[in-house]
Amino acid sequence: MRGMRDFLTVFKNSFKYCWSDRMGIVMLLAFPILIIFVLGNALSGYISPEYDFEEGEKIGIAVISETNSEHNALGTFLKEINIINVIYTDNLTALELLEDGEVNIIVGTDLSVTRPPVGNLSTQIAMSVVDSYSQISAAMETAIKNGENPAELMPLIESNISVVESPLGNRVPGAIDYYAVTMLVMILMFAGTNGLNVFEKGLFSQTGARTLTTPVSKPALIGGLLAAATVTAYIQGMITFLFSWAVYGVYWGERIHLVLLTLFGVTLFSQVFAIFMILLLKSPNAAMGGMQCIIWVMTFVAGGYVKIDFGEMNNVFQYSPNSLAHTVIFGSIFGGNETKMMSDLALLFVYSAVLFILAFLLGKRRISK
Amino acid sequence: MIVTMTDVVKRYKNQTALDHLNLTVKQGEVIGLLGPNGAGKSTSIRVLTGLTNADAGKVTLFGADKLGNDAKRRIGTVPQDLALYETLSARDNIEYFGKLYGVHGSMLKSRVDETLEILGLSDVANKAPKKFSGGMKRRLNIGCAIIHKPELLILDEPTVGIDPQSRNHILDFVTNINKQGTTVLYTSHYMEEVERVCSRVCIMDEGRVIADGGVAELTRSVIFEETVTLEVKEPAPSLPESIKKVQGVLHCDVQNRIVTVTSTAASGNIARILEIAAPYVILGVSAKKATLEDAFLALTGKKLRDGEGDSL
Ligand SMILES: Nc1ncnc2c1ncn2[C@@H]1O[C@H](COP(=O)(O)OP(=O)(O)OP(=O)(O)O)[C@@H](O)[C@H]1O
Ligand SMILES: [Mg+2]
Repeated sequence: MRGMRDFLTVFKNSFKYCWSDRMGIVMLLAFPILIIFVLGNALSGYISPEYDFEEGEKIGIAVISETNSEHNALGTFLKEINIINVIYTDNLTALELLEDGEVNIIVGTDLSVTRPPVGNLSTQIAMSVVDSYSQISAAMETAIKNGENPAELMPLIESNISVVESPLGNRVPGAIDYYAVTMLVMILMFAGTNGLNVFEKGLFSQTGARTLTTPVSKPALIGGLLAAATVTAYIQGMITFLFSWAVYGVYWGERIHLVLLTLFGVTLFSQVFAIFMILLLKSPNAAMGGMQCIIWVMTFVAGGYVKIDFGEMNNVFQYSPNSLAHTVIFGSIFGGNETKMMSDLALLFVYSAVLFILAFLLGKRRISK
Repeated sequence: MIVTMTDVVKRYKNQTALDHLNLTVKQGEVIGLLGPNGAGKSTSIRVLTGLTNADAGKVTLFGADKLGNDAKRRIGTVPQDLALYETLSARDNIEYFGKLYGVHGSMLKSRVDETLEILGLSDVANKAPKKFSGGMKRRLNIGCAIIHKPELLILDEPTVGIDPQSRNHILDFVTNINKQGTTVLYTSHYMEEVERVCSRVCIMDEGRVIADGGVAELTRSVIFEETVTLEVKEPAPSLPESIKKVQGVLHCDVQNRIVTVTSTAASGNIARILEIAAPYVILGVSAKKATLEDAFLALTGKKLRDGEGDSL
């Protein structure tokens, strides 16, 4: 009871404090909107020209096939999607095509996907399509095993195809559709460094010290600060989101709730990460430095900005919070493997939970000692 | 006894901030903690309020040796540095800490109004301290610590760097709140403040209390000499010898027209000295009585403050 009251008191006060600095708020809102605009429009031609869609252009998928024949199930599926161009070839040629940018991904006979180190919208769409296919074929297999009629799965196939096609039917997607997602995820991660200010003020500053001399319950204090920082960052993220949609016309798909939930997952993660870092390092400055480094690395390895192939490490990097969020969001826009999307989304929240427990244990021992 | 600190030791890496500190605070008093920079005044407060743990020694508050929430609720702490939300209004600041101390509802509202009134901040209640003068900020800093009517109020140099008017306001406030029954622990660099508001003084240096008592008592116990300086028109060579015979006089020097007479403290012999010097035509007299400042200097070999103006 008292804990709940303290939580609300701390939450309300910190939230009010976050929004009481007008100049700071303007900066926080203007920066993301600007960066998406700059990357998505003004600079798109310079940064990654080969990834911009042009009228009539198709997404290339190389399908490895020993017989160079179209007669496999994947080929049949892909043929239904008219923005996709399928090339049947052998492994070596496929790698050359990928290198030259002729195709966006390679699909092996076992449905394994090889993607270029640099992410972009076409790659995301191609991967989503193959993901959908694996999901459908798995469903088919089960249906056949159970003696059901695979034809009953037709609606599922059709809806998957239409998910891929609908956004592209309206207009030609451009770099901004890619950057809006990756940048918003990045911005929400960096919002954690703003959260640091909230935690610094609430726990480490002179004001924080004064707070700790009151009989406030510590879990309520940490929770209240976290809630205020998270809600503030989420509101900022939502404003950017709405702006990208309404002003830049970014396409966010049909499953907005899933996109918003994922963005919330990212927001929560970055704030918990901030509180963890500040309690671990006990110094707001050190935490700021540490966080910035780690977030840059996580953003960087999540792909899409520079051409560096991390090779085997890519398998690890796909579990970076940014990559998890990308998987779910692109998946929900262009149709992806539901199972993987859901497990990635869950993983994002698991990260936050684990970090929060660690932060709490650290806080119990370290606050003000 | 509200507070007892017994042989408290606090070390930082290569620094002993508290070195077997012994301090007690009695119910109803205003105790002054006086000491130069780095004496350990703030550190003792941090230990008292649970912001840091002592390495050794024993601390009791209100008879308990653990600082629980009940004890915290009975204490109000005004930190040395401003501890406010600069962009929230004065009212919001006081209200917030009031709630954390467990004051809610209509009680909270009336207490906030009362606190603003006491500290002369009613007119600026809805303004943010970001725009306040130094003195107003200091007063708000105090407001956040008294909203819950604590039994023990700890003030760590509450008047640093402010105008005389705000300073007077704060000193009067301390006297008043003490009259209403609040025990006060008052930390300062300013001798006159301590003399004005405190009933007892503890002088601290290098982490320990080196003197403890009433202001006059302390001065007497530490200062053994007083000096009278006379300017005499035509001092005769025999003058020093005559003066030295006066009771209590320890030395007498004559240089040109200046006669310096040193006596044991409180010997009350000025009239007699003047009488002897009168025939040689006295142009000027100055007597220097021992002050807390001297006591401090004698005890620590240090000036109390590094070069700040001293007047109220
Ligand atoms: N967090 C800390 N880390 C390291 N040393 C510290 C820390 N806090 C205080 N000290 C040291 O402990 C000693 C006592 O400091 P303290 O702040 O208690 O002095 P003070 O009497 O309050 O001085 P002032 O009048 O300047 O406020 C100083 O030498 C200071 O350098
Ligand atoms: Mg101090």
